[in-house]
Amino acid sequence: MACNLVVDGIRVEIGSCKIFDNIEIRVGGGEILAIIGPNGSGKTTLLKCISRTISPVSGEIIVCGRPAREYSNREYSKTVSAMLPQWPSGFSMKSYEIVLMGCRNQSTGVWWEGEKELEVARAALGVLNAMDLYERDFDTLSSGEQRKVLIAKSLAQRTGIILLDEPVAYLDMKHKLEVMTVLRALADMGKTVLVTLHEIDLASKYCENVVVLSEGKVVAAGKPREVITSELLSSVYGVEAVVKWDEEIDYPVIVPKTGRLQRGEISCLM
Amino acid sequence: MHAQPVNKRLRLSLYVITLSIFFSLAFMISVMIGTMQLSPFEVADSIINPNSDPVARSIVLGYRIPRILFASLTGFVLGVSGGVIQTLTRNPLADPYITGMSSGAALGAAIAFVVPFLPYYAVPIMAFLGGVSMLLLSIFLAKKAGAGPIGFILAGVAVGTFASAILMVVLALASEKSHGILYWLFGSFSTSTWGDLQTASAVSMPAIIFALYKARDLNILLLGEEHAAQLGIDSRRLWLLMLLLSSLAVSACVSFCGIIGFIGLVAPHMVRLTIGSDNRFVLPLAGFTGSLLIVIADNIVRNPLNPIAEMPVGSVTSMIGVPFFVYLLIKKGKSFGM
Repeated sequence: MACNLVVDGIRVEIGSCKIFDNIEIRVGGGEILAIIGPNGSGKTTLLKCISRTISPVSGEIIVCGRPAREYSNREYSKTVSAMLPQWPSGFSMKSYEIVLMGCRNQSTGVWWEGEKELEVARAALGVLNAMDLYERDFDTLSSGEQRKVLIAKSLAQRTGIILLDEPVAYLDMKHKLEVMTVLRALADMGKTVLVTLHEIDLASKYCENVVVLSEGKVVAAGKPREVITSELLSSVYGVEAVVKWDEEIDYPVIVPKTGRLQRGEISCLM
Repeated sequence: MHAQPVNKRLRLSLYVITLSIFFSLAFMISVMIGTMQLSPFEVADSIINPNSDPVARSIVLGYRIPRILFASLTGFVLGVSGGVIQTLTRNPLADPYITGMSSGAALGAAIAFVVPFLPYYAVPIMAFLGGVSMLLLSIFLAKKAGAGPIGFILAGVAVGTFASAILMVVLALASEKSHGILYWLFGSFSTSTWGDLQTASAVSMPAIIFALYKARDLNILLLGEEHAAQLGIDSRRLWLLMLLLSSLAVSACVSFCGIIGFIGLVAPHMVRLTIGSDNRFVLPLAGFTGSLLIVIADNIVRNPLNPIAEMPVGSVTSMIGVPFFVYLLIKKGKSFGM
């Protein structure tokens, strides 16, 4: 089950536009790695590369000691699952139908799902505390609920490596914690988890390591306590904030200093 | 099957029962009406009893039953292929007729009619080539333009109109053969024979059965090639294979009976509106729904008040299909992401 993921100096171009160059990342079994960084820094593109949606121009992605491009679709689907939120619509589907699609990679039945797959699908929704969505139309769910169904679909793939693009976006505080707790438990069972997050405090609390991506480059990597500093927030996000680590609850407290809007254009909006 | 919720199973059973009742009724009426009206007893007698009235017997066994069976086969093939093409293009409005495929098939068949010394089986082959090339062209154009579902329909209309324009030129140039081509373009089952039925089902049924067999993977293709690949589907190969097979099946039927529009659009949607998008239900039931619709249309065509002048069956299906298409556009357009 434990599987290493090594991203070895990949370079990605979309059209003539370079997204990033020479990215190096390593994640091992039992570990959650968070990728943080401002909007447009290449986080999603990186996950798309690892899930083989985009192929890098150069460099190599090595999954369990084997280059990713050598896997067949079926083999890869049993090794790496990806939750990428750009979800196609057009045909209405029930939540359980989507989650069951995640089981297809392990399935031997051509036509019907087996008993085991139904059990896995229920467990995937159950562990996310989302069983009430089981028979609902996916299109009628809120963004947060849709996110949970898509996470359940990825979990139902039962892979050693799980990639999740902003798994806690749109979720309220309780559900954010629920999702992160589930990911933590999966990692503790030996899975390799790679997430992109905007929630720096959650990243520090739940993940072994963070990688900070900015303008297509890795600007910092390491243990959250060492990486998340007020200097980093200032240089990467351009946000002045106080970062204080609460020893008692082992949790970072990030308090932004509110600034005054410098630009004069806002008066036009009155 | 046991994954399905109870209310879905209920709707499923109701749909199947209703379909069976209406289909049996339509089938019976279809055997009875025509230039020679027969009672149900006469029909039964002519089927069972070899010594019954030879005229009624030849009408029922040699003419009406192959005609109804061919109409049912065509409806089944159009219904399933419509569902498959909607899945492949991820466009709920796609249909062999709207995407330029039928016009392409018509053009191919017309060329085969006109070119001298071609064997009779050149018609289905040319129809297939014409249909596939026009469908691929509209998919290519829509992709090139980066357009959504509506863009694909527009590309299909453009390609279809172009193919029709060339067809008109072919018709005008080959005036002595144009009657045969026109008759074919109208769509009709009046000349269907047991032989047509054998040939068309031999070509189309393997393709259709394969599509039904792959229904679960087709569901995953609904998510798009990339998502399907991530779930372990060999999506590019399946996509192309399904496109070719469904085009082949449609061409095989359409090359005998002519163009019949909108069944491929209406039938899958009637199923989807009742029991959802799961292709394992949509495809087979769309097939049966297509059969029912065509047999009904074929009954309307054989207007008992004026049995000599048959209406083109393709026009009747379009008259039912176009309002439904407009309804889908208005009512459901938003949920299709347009």
